[in-house]
Amino acid sequence: MAWVVTQGTSLEEPRPSYMYKMVLLGSMSVGKSSLAYRYMRNDFRELLPTVGCSFFMQTLQLDEATVKFEIWDTAGQEKYQSVCHLYYRDAHAALLVYDIANKQTLSRAKLWLEELEKRFLPDEIVIALVGNKTDLAAEREVTSEEGEEFARTKGLLFMETSAKSNYQVNDVFMAVVQELLRREKEKASKPSSRGRSTVELRASRVVTRCC
Amino acid sequence: APLGFTDVNLNSRNTYEVSRRRSAPEHLPHGGTAPAEPAPPPAEPAERARHRVGIAGAGSSFAEFFTRNFFTKRTKELKPAVQSAPGWKLFGKVPPRENLPKDSKIIQQEYEARTGRMYKPPPPSARRKNIEFEPLSTTALILEDRPANLPAKSVEEALRHRQEYDEMVAEAKKREIKEAHKRKKIMRERFKQEENIASAMVIWVNEILPNWEGMRATRRVRELWWQGLPPSVRGKVWSLAVGNELNITPELYEIFLSRAKERWKSFSETSSENDTEDAGASVADREASLELIKLDISRTFPSLYIFQKGGPYHDLLHSVLGAYTCYRPDVGYVQGMSFIAAVLILNLEEADAFIAFANLLNKPCQLAFFRVDHSMMLKYFAAFEVFFEENLPKLFLHFKSYSLTPDIYLIDWIFTLYSKSLPLDLACRVWDVFCRDGEEFLFRTGLGILRLYEDILLQMDFIHIAQFLTKLPEDITSEKLFSCIAAIQMQNSNKKWAQVFASLMKDNKEGDKNHSPAPKS
Repeated sequence: MAWVVTQGTSLEEPRPSYMYKMVLLGSMSVGKSSLAYRYMRNDFRELLPTVGCSFFMQTLQLDEATVKFEIWDTAGQEKYQSVCHLYYRDAHAALLVYDIANKQTLSRAKLWLEELEKRFLPDEIVIALVGNKTDLAAEREVTSEEGEEFARTKGLLFMETSAKSNYQVNDVFMAVVQELLRREKEKASKPSSRGRSTVELRASRVVTRCC
Repeated sequence: APLGFTDVNLNSRNTYEVSRRRSAPEHLPHGGTAPAEPAPPPAEPAERARHRVGIAGAGSSFAEFFTRNFFTKRTKELKPAVQSAPGWKLFGKVPPRENLPKDSKIIQQEYEARTGRMYKPPPPSARRKNIEFEPLSTTALILEDRPANLPAKSVEEALRHRQEYDEMVAEAKKREIKEAHKRKKIMRERFKQEENIASAMVIWVNEILPNWEGMRATRRVRELWWQGLPPSVRGKVWSLAVGNELNITPELYEIFLSRAKERWKSFSETSSENDTEDAGASVADREASLELIKLDISRTFPSLYIFQKGGPYHDLLHSVLGAYTCYRPDVGYVQGMSFIAAVLILNLEEADAFIAFANLLNKPCQLAFFRVDHSMMLKYFAAFEVFFEENLPKLFLHFKSYSLTPDIYLIDWIFTLYSKSLPLDLACRVWDVFCRDGEEFLFRTGLGILRLYEDILLQMDFIHIAQFLTKLPEDITSEKLFSCIAAIQMQNSNKKWAQVFASLMKDNKEGDKNHSPAPKS
């Protein structure tokens, strides 16, 4: 599904490299940038509102593969929606982020899901529903069960996080990566799966770095 | 630190006073010095003086003043007084203490004591003067005698070490002198720059502003304009250049402001009951807009600590944005606007800031972007690419090879008119010429940035370019950027920006819904 960048050249065993694009979607001020910032820098602070999109890049050296991980952190305001397809185009994964202390943001995440379902086939994209701001437990408006139940019916990964108190942030990103790799393996074991791949779409962005 | 924060608030009020005075050139006292201010904080007299005259380098204005002031204070506070340095012993039995400060002075003292030369601390004033020429290193180490369990240095060796040491000291001194010269040169340049700005201010106030319509388009004024507007006339010139096509009066502003206030009141009374599930309702939308303004204000130039709750400009920013959403419900509040309003508020009185804000956002380019009219935005991007290819063909191809489209970086730049992406003083200089040249200059600035970093960008892949351009280096200087912008030709086979854009518009047959007029006031 992802573009296989290079085969590992180390003597022990070839380790594949993948490049994945993950997009963060959700209402404004639910903590998309903060999640990205926590994950990338392991820090939390007041961030400027995102206008358009901001970008992060992470290379993960895992046992089974090297993963280059692009994170596209989008602007949350609804008015930006007409340009948002620019950002989630060709994504391999999406985090649908909502704020557990604001019920409306979950409705918004559901709308995002509908939008993604229109553009992607289910096996084209890994989607995780993320209830952020567990540090605001006292103001909680969405129960864990509600989020989890919705994710289960739609076949999404689910996790609650807090970028502020660093709760499960790394886990949610890793869970997505693991799921991407699991699907990669599944595909490899069924070699004659349907040919529609994202490779061609993204062929112009091949990374030539060796590892 | 809570202590630091009150400090800052106090300060900001003082700077607020200063800027208010600055923004009204007719109140400028002669000679440029401001009247006595309420309890000026003692720190950094030079810095303050610079600002009082209002010529702080075309706009190392506010932002710089502020952050600098704040941080110097903080570092001063944080630095613990570890003056009582422990005894210096390299090979002895005493275990080296953690964070043992390697104070060159102490080493030198010890050396001098040992060689018989008396160390007498110079009087404090002389000491301060000399400090530039004192070698600040630990080279004295080589003069140490060896510990008792090792054979002693031979005479030649000791002599050689002595000589080496002297050479090092001489070298260090030379370096320090050179650096001192460099510092002096920078100071001289800065001084000259300030003088230039001061004399420019006189020209603006005495000659240009009284004859605005007659002079604004003259070559001399345009050239002076390019150099950057003196902060004291900046707001005034922006106002005049943006104009008031919409004929908004301060009274009209008051009307929309009071309407906004009413709405906030009713909003805060009902907000807790408001749990509508459908996100599409327009009432919910409008209220979300108010909520959003509140959220964004606290995130507007947070490092300045003036727009945040309790800061001196918090209410002003809230008012201007709130009044605008009442004035133009068809546009409403869009993220990015808070930065534009904030920059205007820093340079203009409240009502004037609103008038400039509304008129600025009514320009075709801004209207297209703030309505997030994607098809119109694409026209602007296409026009931009015409000039991109013309000016920077190599980089253009590089971007093409990664399918890196201008929306990736231009959306942020155009929405906030660079006020979020460039340092504030530099953004103000871009605004200066934007007011002179119109939308074309926004795109020219974009090309200037690409040109400035062309070599670096050519080495990068998609994601790194995207990352780089959406978070530009903080050390970008106005000299470098403006020389790159100046090198960008806004001519494409004899067609200017407006013509290129117009022909792109013609290609599109259904591009007419985009120019709905502003409501009559």
